[in-house]
Amino acid sequence: MRLTPGPAREIDLDRVDLFDLDLYASGDPHPVWDAMRAKAPLHHQVLPDGREFWSVTRYDDVCRVLGDHREFTSERGTVVTHLGVDDVAAGKLMTSTDPPRHTQVRRAIGARLTARAVASWEDRIRQTIARFLQPALEGGTFDLAEQALLLPAMVTGPLLGIPERDWAELVQLTAMVTAPSDPHFQHGSEAATLAIAHHELVTYVTEWVKLRRATGDADGSLLDHLMNVRAGEAPLTDEEIALDGYSILLGANVTTPHTVSGTVHALIERPEQYAKAQADPSLVPNLVEEGLRWTSAACNFMRYAVSDIRLGGGMIPARGAVVAWIGSANRDESQFADPHQFDITRDNAKRQVAFGFGPHFCVGAPLARLTLRVFFEELLQRCGSIALDGEPRHLRSYFIAGMTHLPIVAKKRMTP
Amino acid sequence: MESEAQAAPSSAPESLVREISALWGEYLGTREVGADDDFFVLGGNSLIGIKIVDRVTEDYGVELSVRDFYLAQTPAKVAALIEQGRTRT
Repeated sequence: MRLTPGPAREIDLDRVDLFDLDLYASGDPHPVWDAMRAKAPLHHQVLPDGREFWSVTRYDDVCRVLGDHREFTSERGTVVTHLGVDDVAAGKLMTSTDPPRHTQVRRAIGARLTARAVASWEDRIRQTIARFLQPALEGGTFDLAEQALLLPAMVTGPLLGIPERDWAELVQLTAMVTAPSDPHFQHGSEAATLAIAHHELVTYVTEWVKLRRATGDADGSLLDHLMNVRAGEAPLTDEEIALDGYSILLGANVTTPHTVSGTVHALIERPEQYAKAQADPSLVPNLVEEGLRWTSAACNFMRYAVSDIRLGGGMIPARGAVVAWIGSANRDESQFADPHQFDITRDNAKRQVAFGFGPHFCVGAPLARLTLRVFFEELLQRCGSIALDGEPRHLRSYFIAGMTHLPIVAKKRMTP
Repeated sequence: MESEAQAAPSSAPESLVREISALWGEYLGTREVGADDDFFVLGGNSLIGIKIVDRVTEDYGVELSVRDFYLAQTPAKVAALIEQGRTRT
């Protein structure tokens, strides 16, 4: 979806279709969300097949929906693609589990992903990113969005314990989960695409665990950790290992690439911001926060109301599905002044909710932040300037706001 | 995408189609599954698919391709894939 909104237009909120994939692939959702925040903070939509959902778009409401599991449960599913079908992995997959079980599992997994734990990876990540950027500096056209899809696998592969030969296949599968209707990733119907990808990914982790058990190998990787960690009093079940392993692969692969390409695109459109960051590398951490806010790669998450709940001037009935639009919350004018301005010196960029909010706050956030910081440090140091070299293309997905193509030409920086 | 499933004629013996329909019924919690019923319309998902594909390997000694299984989508076509796998080995 376009991240810099186009010209203002008339929005009829009664006719808005938030499930229209064209809106994200070639349209302009921000003016729609602007209108929703202003006039319909609790928006209701019924799909042609009878499924219905409520949307919240204001920062405070998004935080409330994502943050309070007593009112809004994750145990019936959290991804809009599955609206109306209760999650078969509820209570087993960490993201589809409420506290208290969720707290036990998240603490166990998160212990290996804290900022302190991932800090020792910085040198290795820097080398990986230097290798990633090398072909971009050779003078030709470099499709950053296409290449960036592989970046998380390059960075997290060794950390997860996944051999390089499997990366491309896993990246393809995780992309199928997030954009099952994008022609780049579709196999047959949307349902078939999702099932193929889920099946292959869960089976991949299951086989990985089986092999480790058979050989007794331990490599200290994150998947290894999943096999040995205790959550509460007991180890994770095999089903939990397979599903959480899947979830970690997914979380690692599908968001960071789009934050990379979307932020670089924003910098190409605003050379003065690029120059500012280049002149003062200490701005990079804030550039990363603004990039996260700006791109909001995980565009939304879903919850189900536990009981009738008053919110945003309306009522969500018990069992109703609620979509919390993170992409909109991060442009809420009550929170961020001039929200549609990309500003690497924004003083409260860190209040962005791109990683979510509350108990399900992204467990990989410290690693993502580290990767993004190192990426932009290296990019600014190596590239004197970056120009667009073709039309950017956006991902056909209402779940992940992303790009499929961003052709760029980079010039080597002469004076370091 | 060209898939083997789409190219496969429904050449499986009727008895095999019936067995596969029954196998699906076991995991989909539906009493009657027809030869041409759609996996996803019956409420099928990947966790059920994993169990069915594993059972096919155990019971028939045929390793179905995951892609072909979901693109086939009906017991008749899955039976044809199994038949194909058997004759190939």
